[in-house]
Amino acid sequence: MAIALVGLVGVYVRALVFTPIERTQGPAQKIFYVHAPAAWAALLAFAVVGILSLVYLWLRDRKLDTIAESSAEVGLAFSVVMLTTGPIWGKPIWGTWWSWDARLTSTLFIFLLFVGYKVLRGAIVDPEMRARYSAVIGIMALVLVPFIHMTVYLFRTLHPDPVLMKPGRPALPGVMLITLLISIGVFTLLYVGFLMQRYALAVLRDVREEEAASAIP
Amino acid sequence: MSPEARPALVARGVSRRFGHRVVVRDVSLEVGGGDTLLLVGHNGAGKTTLIRLLAGLLKPTKGSVTCSGVLGMVAHNSMLYDALTARENLSFYGSLYGRAAVQRSDELLERMGLAPHGDRRVATFSRGMVQRLAIARALLPDPNLLLLDEPLTGLDDAASGTVRDVLTDLRAQDCAVIIATHQLVELVDLASAVGFLVAGRLVAVEPIEDRDATAVMVRYRELAAGA
Amino acid sequence: MPSSFWTVAWAVAAKDLKIEWRTKTAFASSIVFAVLVLAVFYFARDPTAVAALDVAPGALWVTFTFAAMLGLNRAFLLERENRALDGILLAPVPRSAVFLGKLVGNLAFVAVVEFVSLPLFVLFYDLAIWRQLPTLIGVMAMATVAFVSVGTLLSSMVVRTRFAELMLPILLLPFLIPPVVGAVQLTSRVLAERPLSDLVGWLKLLASFDIIFVALCFFLFEATLEE
Repeated sequence: MAIALVGLVGVYVRALVFTPIERTQGPAQKIFYVHAPAAWAALLAFAVVGILSLVYLWLRDRKLDTIAESSAEVGLAFSVVMLTTGPIWGKPIWGTWWSWDARLTSTLFIFLLFVGYKVLRGAIVDPEMRARYSAVIGIMALVLVPFIHMTVYLFRTLHPDPVLMKPGRPALPGVMLITLLISIGVFTLLYVGFLMQRYALAVLRDVREEEAASAIP
Repeated sequence: MSPEARPALVARGVSRRFGHRVVVRDVSLEVGGGDTLLLVGHNGAGKTTLIRLLAGLLKPTKGSVTCSGVLGMVAHNSMLYDALTARENLSFYGSLYGRAAVQRSDELLERMGLAPHGDRRVATFSRGMVQRLAIARALLPDPNLLLLDEPLTGLDDAASGTVRDVLTDLRAQDCAVIIATHQLVELVDLASAVGFLVAGRLVAVEPIEDRDATAVMVRYRELAAGA
Repeated sequence: MPSSFWTVAWAVAAKDLKIEWRTKTAFASSIVFAVLVLAVFYFARDPTAVAALDVAPGALWVTFTFAAMLGLNRAFLLERENRALDGILLAPVPRSAVFLGKLVGNLAFVAVVEFVSLPLFVLFYDLAIWRQLPTLIGVMAMATVAFVSVGTLLSSMVVRTRFAELMLPILLLPFLIPPVVGAVQLTSRVLAERPLSDLVGWLKLLASFDIIFVALCFFLFEATLEE
């Protein structure tokens, strides 16, 4: 965890000071170094939830569900970061807060699916049922996202948007690419760090619940 | 139960927890054709959970339940559709088991005294009639094991009488019966054995011998105090 | 001899439809809802500014899906009344047959809502659909199968939680995006009489969604049942 935080500071310093200002986009482009890795972390968290869900249904180990729950919450936080930094980056550059392209829409839905996952968990009291149902949603959500991506992609190719400069990754010169990669590495570490912390919290909470429940005569 | 016959149901070391509460703890029992086992316990002792575990509706957290043959169950909820008639209910449930079961519907309606009400919706039935129909439903597949959870609750004397008659018949037909109840007076003379459930644990299973309801209660308190 | 997969599925579907026919509550609300949504969309449009063909497909599919969502919970709610589902699970029936039965019941329900709304839609938007009717029905079928199968699976979970009526839309809506967008695109092209080559991409998307998600839902259903 500590390593990740140090790394985070390091990335920021590098991004702000060392990386040259991108020609057309200006200083605002630096947000990209937070936005893109945050998106990557959210996507990673999402995939982890999906895969753990599948394994849970196979092995029925409750720890898997606790990790999945933690990953979902961490992923939710990262998606919020991603969804807020995105428009902040986008507005000065594209002139618009949002566009319904494949990538943005998919990430929005990843956020919504995380929210749905949490809402479902909140509505079920029995831990075993909660784990099972969350796993079902986790798997379905993982399979869904590529379809959403395809849907919007298909939509877009047939309705080309005339105004927008593609919000994809333009070819990055060497220095910026390295910063980006380091950023991604740092965010991955951050993800793992947060995940471990959140998992530890979840375990503590479970232990406390167990003590409370067995204290009831 | 004759020694060569296979037991209708064998439970070994069955435990079940809900979240952090252990509701059924390490229960082992065995019943065979002709046995009528009464499971006695206070409310909250785990009777309903145990019945559901034995029926296969709940999976045990530990241990196993093996049932050979066909199983029927009568629970607190009727498992019937209020919007359908008695006949339609039986024909639906029967169709899950096969044509033979469906063909038994009319005969079972007769036997439970519901033939005149066969085409009335279950929503119009009294509690006694619902219970009798629920038993008819449970008997559709001609089970060799019948599980009942508080079968006489809320029944008037006539309905109770019909249920008791059915249970007596089943015993004579070599069906294994397990009844979870705290209403000993009406059922104790039907039983061949009594199982005492205290806080989720089956502390003893004893043949009924000549005991009446009072004697059984005394024994229960004895065991509950000791547990 | 036990019932076959298809007998069980058919029995479940038939029973569901019989019950719905008797009570008609979900059905009536869905139809009323559909008419209201269609009317709102109709009156909200400025006919001089927006062509019918631009609005109509979207309006139609929003109507279909939202009206359908009102009815999806019904399939499993009726089983909770008297724990009727337990009765089904006691029988040695394949769980996927139960899912198929529920799915078919829901499909029939939604199909009726769609076929009642479609003429209204044609009337309101003054569309000539006769020549495209077969293709249109094909599109409707594919998209409906997609969201009803996911909806059926989700409702089997959601009915056991608090706030079931709210939970279903929250969970289901993301899953509606691919089939509904596809359906709207296809409907709009079909009505505009575009050649098949214009439709192929969306048809492939819809077909693959159908195949993958229907299979996934069947596979996951059992996990939503056990306790």
